[in-house]
Amino acid sequence: MIASIPSAVLLGVDGIPVSVEVHVANGLPGMTMVGLPDTAVRESRDRVRAALVSSGLPWPRRRVTVNLAPGGMRKAGSGLDLPVAIGLLVASGVLAAEAVEGYGFVGELGLDGTIRSVPGTLALVDALADRRVVVADAGLAEARLATGTCRSAPSLAELVARCTGRRPWVDPPELGEAVGPSGPEASGTVPDLSDVLGQPIARRALELAAAGGHHLLLVGPPGAGKTLLAERLPGLLPDLDPSVSREVTRIHSVAGADRPTSGLVRRPPFRAPHHGVSSVALVGGGNAALRPGEIGLAHGGVLFLDELGEFPTAVLDALRQPLEDGVVRVSRARGSVVQPARFLLVAAMNPCPCGDGGIPGSCRCAPAARARYARRLSGPLLDRFDLAVRVDRPQVSDLVAAVPGEATTVVAARVASARTMAAARGVACNALLASGSLDDAAPLDGAARTLLERHLRSGALSARGLHRVRRLARTVADLDGAGPSVGAAHVSEALFLRGSRALVLGEEVR
Amino acid sequence: MTRTGSTDRAHAAALLGLPGMTPVRLARVLDGFGPVLAWSAVRAGTHPADPERRFAAAARTTDPHEVAARYAAADVAVLVPGGAGYPAALEGDPGAPAVLTCLGDPSVLEARPVVAVVGTRSATPYGATVASGLGRALARAGVVVVSGLARGIDAAAHAGALAAGPAAAPPVAVVGTGADVPYPSANRDLWARVAAAGALLSEAALGTPARPRVFPARNRIIAALSDVVVVVESHHSGGSLYTAEAAARRGIPVCAVPGSVLSRASTGTNELLVDGCTPVRDADDVLAAVDLARQGKGMAGPLRVATARVTAGTGGGAPPGDRVQRSVWEAVDDTPTTVETVLLRTDLSLAALTAAGQELVEAGMLVAGAGWWSRT
Repeated sequence: MIASIPSAVLLGVDGIPVSVEVHVANGLPGMTMVGLPDTAVRESRDRVRAALVSSGLPWPRRRVTVNLAPGGMRKAGSGLDLPVAIGLLVASGVLAAEAVEGYGFVGELGLDGTIRSVPGTLALVDALADRRVVVADAGLAEARLATGTCRSAPSLAELVARCTGRRPWVDPPELGEAVGPSGPEASGTVPDLSDVLGQPIARRALELAAAGGHHLLLVGPPGAGKTLLAERLPGLLPDLDPSVSREVTRIHSVAGADRPTSGLVRRPPFRAPHHGVSSVALVGGGNAALRPGEIGLAHGGVLFLDELGEFPTAVLDALRQPLEDGVVRVSRARGSVVQPARFLLVAAMNPCPCGDGGIPGSCRCAPAARARYARRLSGPLLDRFDLAVRVDRPQVSDLVAAVPGEATTVVAARVASARTMAAARGVACNALLASGSLDDAAPLDGAARTLLERHLRSGALSARGLHRVRRLARTVADLDGAGPSVGAAHVSEALFLRGSRALVLGEEVR
Repeated sequence: MTRTGSTDRAHAAALLGLPGMTPVRLARVLDGFGPVLAWSAVRAGTHPADPERRFAAAARTTDPHEVAARYAAADVAVLVPGGAGYPAALEGDPGAPAVLTCLGDPSVLEARPVVAVVGTRSATPYGATVASGLGRALARAGVVVVSGLARGIDAAAHAGALAAGPAAAPPVAVVGTGADVPYPSANRDLWARVAAAGALLSEAALGTPARPRVFPARNRIIAALSDVVVVVESHHSGGSLYTAEAAARRGIPVCAVPGSVLSRASTGTNELLVDGCTPVRDADDVLAAVDLARQGKGMAGPLRVATARVTAGTGGGAPPGDRVQRSVWEAVDDTPTTVETVLLRTDLSLAALTAAGQELVEAGMLVAGAGWWSRT
């Protein structure tokens, strides 16, 4: 007998429908699996046999062939255990084919027959939109975010009972509004901006980064509070909008990252990979499923690279294309996938190996050592940072007075209103304004135009830099409530905050 | 009396260019031998200063006349003690180089007072201003300014001396690399201008690249050439302290420019002052020290005193009229001050502050760096 059970496997952050065909025929007892299974899939044979036996179901003493169609694509993951088991039961006549008509199955089996949730449930269920999909009880909350309908069961025996109608399907509790609170206060673990004492320029840069989506580089000596500042950035960002929220949930589910029990990720994620990270871990790829990397996981949120100067150059340069396009293309010999990766890049580094440099007369490093340190960052990458500010150790008076800084909620309110203004221009944030639309969205007044012209003439500003400065100046004006046109003061603040190249490369005093 | 014909110079240059040759080995090889005799002994492997015969093989494949032709093509003169052009101040010096190469005119060193202006490669705006001011005023007063053509203070001193114009005393540089290898490359232009106006000396063969050890070694030549050594800015244990030490060992007066006790770039110079070096504020102070030094050696009487006092901070002039600009200018120190500090001192918005700072920079009243300002 033959059975064909619909299921799905992961490729990148998408589910691909797979048909699990099981053929049971006379011959020497045994089971072969074809259709390019990877190790986890191949091992499902042993899990399925144990699960069937533990559940009191028969294991066919005949020749079993399992084919995973389409046969040309490599399949990864343990989610095929359940469809293989169901296929075996149908093919050996234990379960009627009609009983599973219209169902798809996704789940891993325990040796005792329990059904376990698998990473990427949301993406897998999405791939089977035209069917009722059966998942593990634990995966149901997430599966319900998908467009299709879904069912769940705790164990294989229970599932067989429900399919045959001996037991009713238990309707899971309605989630309804129980998706949890929103807003920055919702995530109690996010640290508050009021912990940052003093440091007005760094705070301002953080606010501008959150309001305009401008990438931020913090340069300063050890102990200046660069990490402290960066960790507070996600709290300033507004909630994810529903479509992004769904994308983020999907990516996090595929990667098996921590996410709220309600299933949907509503707050911008914060990812801080260590500087030992490999290119593959950052960009994605690796196994047959081409799983998302850190930049995919940072989609919709913040990617924080601490000690930027310590990252291998090749790893950093891998960031350039995603920063430009908002998506990352992972290509391997077997195929390529496109994953969303629109994130706010925040990086921190010391100005030089001794850490105290940047200001003449305070650094212990030889000029050559400083130049070597700066050379690790490519010009094009530095160009992507609209904001590059020096963070100094807080002033003693600020620490002693301990007057708390503005709280996250206060700043987040200003950020939200700036983002509303950006939305009125048709973009999520000012950093995404097309260069052609700048004259409408960010018209310059006379003095501002003269100032920019002078900088262009002196060669201090490139054409690309000009657009970036104008976008940043737009955000500065928005936060100051300056109205439709951008003034010279806004432009000069933007020029000052952009000083990236000089800040990292230092400059010669002649 | 040594014969110093072109044959001698060709053989001296050939010895200098042998692979593995150092100033110390070269001095031993030439000690008691004339260049021609030393060359044939090295070539034959019988030279007592080269018992391992490390240079013999290379010498056999080298033609001294070909080497001399290369020097002539590069317009680089070869100077040997006792010969034409070799600086008189180096004759009899214990660390005198046995062979010097020279781009430009070595005679500019003779019959003029010589002052070395040296200091750190990572100079502050203060140090660079003082060094170029000293270079200009000393050159105008007829003093040959000697330095090492490194980044920072050295480059500023040379640039200042060149800015004094063609009527002033020409500058002299003593470099660590070959005379045809400008280093650092940022100073390529300055290198050519110093050689054209004055002289550029090196004890390295043509084509010798930058190596860490050569720079401290050439500092002894800078010291030995000078009547007075002025250190403008130096880190604690900075390279310019070698020059000061080499000068002190030769009894040459060392002067230092005082700096902020908070600036790392002035640690070394302030230590020199504590150790008893003469503090100098401007060219007049230096000229007074030069007079004293030359009188001690029984040389000519007082020099013409420079007319313009060169002091730091005169470029800025009166504070600006505009109220906001004035408050910004007042909040900036003479040393680099972070913009954040200025922001806290002025209580302005960042936009207003950066706008005012930008205008002050354009008016030449502030110097802007990466995240800091300093008064000019």
